[in-house]
Amino acid sequence: MKIMTHIVAGYPSMKECEKIALTMAETDVSYIEIQFPFSDPIADGETIKAANDAAILNGTTTAKCFDLVERLKGDVPLLAMTYYNIAFRYGLERFCKKAHEVGLYGLIIPDIPLDEEKYEHYLELCEKYGLNPIQIVSPITPDRRLREIAKVARGFVYCVSNSGTTGERENLNFNLKKYIGRIRKFIDLPLALGFGISNKKQVGIATEFADIVVIGSKIISIHKDGGISAVKAFCLDIRS
Amino acid sequence: MKSLKKYILNKTGHFGEYGGRYVPELLMPIMEELEKVFYESIKDRSFQDELNGLYKTYSGRPTPLYFCENLSKKLGGARIYLKNEGLNHTGAHKINHCLGQALLAKRLGKKRVIAETGAGQHGLATATVCAKLGLECVVYMGAKDFRRQRPNVFFMERLGAKVVPVKSGGQILRDAINEALKDLISNPEDTHYLLGTVCGPHPYPVMNAHFQSIVGREVRKQLDGSPDYLVACVGGGSNAIGLFHDFLDDEGVKMIGVEAGGKGIKETSSKCDHAARFETGETGVVEGFKSYFLQNKDGQIKDTHSISAGLDYSGVGPQLVYLKDIGRIETSYALDDEVLSAYELLARTEGVFAALESCHAVAEVIKLAPKLPKNKIIVFNCSGRGDKDLFIVTEKFNFKIS
Repeated sequence: MKIMTHIVAGYPSMKECEKIALTMAETDVSYIEIQFPFSDPIADGETIKAANDAAILNGTTTAKCFDLVERLKGDVPLLAMTYYNIAFRYGLERFCKKAHEVGLYGLIIPDIPLDEEKYEHYLELCEKYGLNPIQIVSPITPDRRLREIAKVARGFVYCVSNSGTTGERENLNFNLKKYIGRIRKFIDLPLALGFGISNKKQVGIATEFADIVVIGSKIISIHKDGGISAVKAFCLDIRS
Repeated sequence: MKSLKKYILNKTGHFGEYGGRYVPELLMPIMEELEKVFYESIKDRSFQDELNGLYKTYSGRPTPLYFCENLSKKLGGARIYLKNEGLNHTGAHKINHCLGQALLAKRLGKKRVIAETGAGQHGLATATVCAKLGLECVVYMGAKDFRRQRPNVFFMERLGAKVVPVKSGGQILRDAINEALKDLISNPEDTHYLLGTVCGPHPYPVMNAHFQSIVGREVRKQLDGSPDYLVACVGGGSNAIGLFHDFLDDEGVKMIGVEAGGKGIKETSSKCDHAARFETGETGVVEGFKSYFLQNKDGQIKDTHSISAGLDYSGVGPQLVYLKDIGRIETSYALDDEVLSAYELLARTEGVFAALESCHAVAEVIKLAPKLPKNKIIVFNCSGRGDKDLFIVTEKFNFKIS
């Protein structure tokens, strides 16, 4: 079972998030997603939005996020998750070049759809600098878009869910089977699944269908309540 | 200049390099469907008839174009005309795009409508059309605006809308937009996001400009020709585009968009004393579109300030930025104090209370008119009436209500 965990760079502090990430790496997670904070994170819920705000207030800059990645570089592949304005303001080419230099495996930028490629050349630059531009799909992504996404996807594909996919176990099973089944018809890469997964039971369900299980905001609340040792215990427990 | 309208928007929703559709994949199908239904509907006679019928019998269009004789005399220059969008049902121009979008929501089979609001005028207009058309309505409003625009909150609730105060960030319009986008991401299938200005991902800028362009068309008819100057305040830009749009091809018509200068053009790395995007904003991609934003060098969006909630916004409509870039429009700003003086002068000379947003345009007219000869014509958009600002202006003029 592969797990991808998440931290917000600079939250609760640069030092502490570095420790959290190192602890995750020790528990053998498969990927770590490092979010470069942004003031207007439209695809994130309240917990991560608050962590973004706090990190910016702490003085976290894009340059410091790259420094963090450089320090964390090790056996576990690291991905930078951020919003397009952060990369755009840094200079997209400069951003991709730097991402390559610090050893990032890929980028997750939800608000740069394929449709803007001819204006932004994001996929082209990822290719040039050997980065995996992680594509995101949802239950309402139509087949025709999945075909286009399949052509440009690299690394793995991130499947998010909307409100329709959470709920009773039987329902969840049924919906996930249908959802992931449809995505697999178009996409040959490993699939990562994230839907606010917060406990062992949900990890179990997700594992039946997906290759990688994403654990995001739960880590933030666990750390808040129990510190690093609780994060370690959680990462070990969900995979046991 | 003749072909201007043709090339300002391309098929992917870009105005030059601005605009576009920078949204998460989850929203792409929704935006594509909205775009399709929008273009189909505006070519459909029955849709046009229904919308025009509502404009006339429900909103009270056409709104008057009124010659401000006393103000013109007092300023001693150009002839000043006021396009009174404040006389629309619900008190502002916002109902123009609300009626259009609500009819589209019906066509899309959506049962639930969400909206963001700053001053509350767009939220009020949305709640009103939802009440009329039987749609569930949720309005997101920054908690600071929720406190300073109490009358509109009260009316929205009476209309059956749920008004949600947004406590994150600066607690203003931008935070409300973020929250509404998040709602749409969670409820993409049954919900229409009735975005209230010419910002956001394609097709919102072009769609709202289309529904607002009736304002300029009426002005042309009412004047029986073109004015020399058009003046409008610019928050997101819906009332400005509404006034300007029909005249974009008329080379002789000068256009001025007036931003919120707040307490002056000063700022730190996280906070502005103003909301003047054309003064210190830079290109960025936020909330689904590329435009000018007030931001620091890392791309973090700054909090803004204005006496008027409706202009208190860090981004601006992409089409306006493009029009400024190619030199078709000019921009300026008015300070909070100038806005209050304008509010008072318009009231005393013409007996009209304009919304504080619209008073930014009045403040510009006060500077512009005396410099022009008497045969020149200025039309300014009185985009809303001033009733909603009661609690702000009573405080500023030291009047105790109770």
